[in-house]
Amino acid sequence: MKLWGQMLWGHLSGLRGRQGGIWGWACSTWQSHQPQAGPLSASGLVKHWTAVFEKRGIPEARESSEYIVAHVLGAKTFQSLRPVLWTQPLTAQQLQGIQELCNLRLQRMPVQYILGEWDFQGLTLKMAPPVFIPRPETEELIEWILEEVAQRPQAVGAQGSPLILEVGCGSGAIALSLLSQLPESQVIAVDKKEAAISLTRENAQRLRLQGRIQTILLDVTIEDSWTHLLPWGPMDLIVSNPPYVFHKDMEQLAPEIRSYEDSVALDGGEKGMDIISHILTLAPQLLKASGSIFLEVDPRHPELVSSWLQSRPDLCLGLVAVRKDFCGRHVAGPKDHGGGKLLTSWQPGNGESKEGSGDNSYLPEAPSEHITFN
Amino acid sequence: MNCHLSVWLFRNPSLSAYPQRHIYLHCQPFRQIKLDMGLRVLKQSRNHILHQLLNKNWSRRCHQDTRTLWKHRALQKYMEDLRKEYKALDQCLQKITVNEGERGSLNRRHAELAPLTAIYQEIQEAEQAIEELKSMCKSVNTQEEKQFQELALEERQIIGQKLNTLYNELFQSLVPKEKYDKSDVILEVTSGRTTGGDICQQFTREIFDMYQNYSCYKHWKFELLNYTPADYGGLHHAAARISGDSVYRHLKYEGGIHRVQRIPEVGLSSRMQRIHTGTMSVIVLPQPDEVDVKVDPRDLRIDTFRAKGAGGQHVNTTDSAVRLVHVPTGLVVECQQERSQLKNKEIALRMLRARLYQQIIEKDKCQQQSARKLQVGTRAQSERIRTYNFTQDRVTDHRIAYEVRDIKEFLCGEKGLDQLIQRLLHFADEEALVELLDGNLKSTK
Repeated sequence: MKLWGQMLWGHLSGLRGRQGGIWGWACSTWQSHQPQAGPLSASGLVKHWTAVFEKRGIPEARESSEYIVAHVLGAKTFQSLRPVLWTQPLTAQQLQGIQELCNLRLQRMPVQYILGEWDFQGLTLKMAPPVFIPRPETEELIEWILEEVAQRPQAVGAQGSPLILEVGCGSGAIALSLLSQLPESQVIAVDKKEAAISLTRENAQRLRLQGRIQTILLDVTIEDSWTHLLPWGPMDLIVSNPPYVFHKDMEQLAPEIRSYEDSVALDGGEKGMDIISHILTLAPQLLKASGSIFLEVDPRHPELVSSWLQSRPDLCLGLVAVRKDFCGRHVAGPKDHGGGKLLTSWQPGNGESKEGSGDNSYLPEAPSEHITFN
Repeated sequence: MNCHLSVWLFRNPSLSAYPQRHIYLHCQPFRQIKLDMGLRVLKQSRNHILHQLLNKNWSRRCHQDTRTLWKHRALQKYMEDLRKEYKALDQCLQKITVNEGERGSLNRRHAELAPLTAIYQEIQEAEQAIEELKSMCKSVNTQEEKQFQELALEERQIIGQKLNTLYNELFQSLVPKEKYDKSDVILEVTSGRTTGGDICQQFTREIFDMYQNYSCYKHWKFELLNYTPADYGGLHHAAARISGDSVYRHLKYEGGIHRVQRIPEVGLSSRMQRIHTGTMSVIVLPQPDEVDVKVDPRDLRIDTFRAKGAGGQHVNTTDSAVRLVHVPTGLVVECQQERSQLKNKEIALRMLRARLYQQIIEKDKCQQQSARKLQVGTRAQSERIRTYNFTQDRVTDHRIAYEVRDIKEFLCGEKGLDQLIQRLLHFADEEALVELLDGNLKSTK
């Protein structure tokens, strides 16, 4: 009986709520007695599914259920839902929707694929398996690129400037966030998979940036494939989040990644350098004299990259700097090398596992730790 | 014949000593009288009743107590000082010898004082006119002149009202404008320790809802930054950013401890039907511009899930919560409103800035020893400013000893709250003005 009474009240307040915005809210304060969040309310469902996920060993159980429930209720995060919605019982349709999505989660599908979208640098992008899901660390790469571009006035302002090449565009996260924050820029986005190219195109259209982006199906590892890019002229920037996982580490990746994301987007070969080395090889042919390359890489890469560059003096590239992300791990930044092209690399994640203790933070280093190599 | 006549006395400043000398008669419909500001004053026959009436208007206008009379004197003195300053500036600026830098600041001060002196001039003229009317009224004798009495009465009422408006204008112009009045605001609510049932947390939610409704009522934008619920539908703490027109000015006196007295309806305590007391605290922080508060990235410690280990391509995560710790001050701010970690970081940084800004303001204000009843800032934080008594259905603001009935309506955050806030603002303005005049009076004695 009690449950029924609560549901009735919930249903009534729901009606009032529908009459519009704040009034629905105000009405909730008329009750000096607030019913507890019933099991069929948003909060109740989050609790329920968190427990289910935890039991089945699904990582980030609480976050997953919160995002799914919020999504079904039309919000991006549970926190941003109107608080009154947390305790209202849900409709049968909503309950069914949540059930279906949570079942997908039980099969270890990443939340981003379940929701079909995710946010990156303030843009909401469509996500679809098996196209690579943008990582939060890459947001900082964008910030860094923007800082560097701002410091070079000649690169910005003129139409089509800067001209950026992105290798391995995936969902278009990097390309589109650069386009949206550099209004005069143009991007040539390249990927070897058709799924990625069409997803990038779709996201570009959603964000109405399709006029400034050119998407090309291209495999940079195929010899001389880059010559197809020559007609667009020399580039100001080459950016990439290339597959950089060491091949032997691939098996240790979580099921979310192994089973759903394209391994081609992750596997960088024995030392994770396969695609990186190809990008570095094609760069001198396509970059302007003052151009830069920005890469996201594994923490072990700066040394590998620098020694690889030493073996290829014909490229006239120099590793300029390495920058840590704001969690204190290695990131790389450019500096004026003088006499050669600039190479910058940025690397999140250090592959070491730390205990999740109370003090789980790093002191951030100064943004540009400048390391120059000859 | 009831001829409606209006008599216009055209005032010639040089002849002000002998007002009775020049009277021009115009035939005009009574209602079309327009009072030209500061120059034309209607004069009519003297009337003893008028005299009384005007006196009454006067005292009603100036709240009848000695403090106000004194204020009036202090006000006079202050205005005199301003007028002298204005004249001096006038002469000064006419000299060519003043250099460019000084000229700029002198011009500004001149521009500041111009409207004040103008209003003051008008007030003085209006007051003089009334004096003259009064004295004229005294010598009413013949029947003819008595006809004018009624007209004179109404005319003096009009002058009286004009004077009221002028006083209000002067009041508004004189009240020192707070530096941060126009800022947007971050409003934080925190529940107190629960003494009985969960009334503190319930109450916190009701108050937060009230401010949300108020923002809607005032057409401000209400952006939720943080919302941490407690069990049983209450609220533990929450924060929101409110932006719009002069938000800080309206909400600054809402900061402090709000107390609730009610009989809890859930839990064991409800059986005893005893009144429980709980508290919650409201903090109102003005939002700074980017330039006002500089945060050195080196002073920040940023906690995210990623600190726990591998990242980048090796990991898929949706945990984008961010916690910022400002190491020098120990301030901690959390945010998980957005899916994008970068956005959460931005929001947390914004909140941190507001808190630091508050600290900066505190340092400013600490220097001034204020005896005011209405305080803002950390001084006010621990003061119990308002009590909401549900059993007696009233809200009492302790600072101005003001009571409002109908708690339910009040908690809707519309007219009831707005009226209280207007009263608080008016009270604060008066206090500020008195302080200003007081200071001026003392400094030159």
